[in-house]
Amino acid sequence: MGLVARFLEENGISTILLTMTPDFNREIGIPRIAAIEYPYGRVVGEVNDTEGQRQVLLEALSVLGTAKKPGEVVHLPYTWHEDPKDTKWHPPEASPIIKMYLATIKKAGAEARK
Amino acid sequence: MSVSAKRVNGFYFMPPSLSAWIGQTIPEKKFGGQIPWTPLKKPVSETVFSLMTSAGINIKTDPDFDMQREKQEPTWGDPSYRKIPKSARESDIHVNHLHVNTDYIKKDMNVTLHLGRFREFETDGVIGAIAPTSYSYYGYQTDPTALMEETMPKVVADMKSEGVEAVLLTPA
Repeated sequence: MGLVARFLEENGISTILLTMTPDFNREIGIPRIAAIEYPYGRVVGEVNDTEGQRQVLLEALSVLGTAKKPGEVVHLPYTWHEDPKDTKWHPPEASPIIKMYLATIKKAGAEARK
Repeated sequence: MSVSAKRVNGFYFMPPSLSAWIGQTIPEKKFGGQIPWTPLKKPVSETVFSLMTSAGINIKTDPDFDMQREKQEPTWGDPSYRKIPKSARESDIHVNHLHVNTDYIKKDMNVTLHLGRFREFETDGVIGAIAPTSYSYYGYQTDPTALMEETMPKVVADMKSEGVEAVLLTPA
């Protein structure tokens, strides 16, 4: 989404990216980020948690309103209510690319554990 | 704005092997190039917003994002986009995404495409207005050329025609 945010800004539209993967900022250079440690597919919050969703969105809007220079990353303080191993964010079936690269992914994991 | 000491770990929910694989592609050093910048021209409470998500959402009367071709060609992702009216609710949408569990969005679309919350913000005067149209594309793009050169110029033109001044982007 970083490339899209950049393109909008180039065309005179201000952006705020609410994202769980702020690390891509180092690769792409994203104008404004509100980073949040929430799972894929639920970046705004839990299903039917109206108040929690409102808080997160208000914080994101606050970053939009106060960021002074491009590349700003604000880390929001929220903690997800489930442990990562209990958070069922993944698709019911492994994605086609994961299936295709499964051996490579396992190898990267083994290398990282060394 | 709350100031916190928390540093978001972008790999917190990812299995270790996948983190290691994806992490290899992200540089350690801070981005060194130019970053485009459009300052907000007025307070948030007077600004016209559109939303954009990469969650693969479409209105039921529009075609679904193409999952079949991706299943045949795993490095291809549908580069098109869909318009979502500001009135959209869960019963109006389809969600197609092969990389996340889409059940949560189907139950409460505000978990990514938060039009319900923004309709409240519009009523409460937190934001100036929501533009008539918000947008979805499909976030899996190994080659972003078509998305960036064909799709996004159309999105920007649509946004300009509706007076959009700011966009809140939410990935799947």
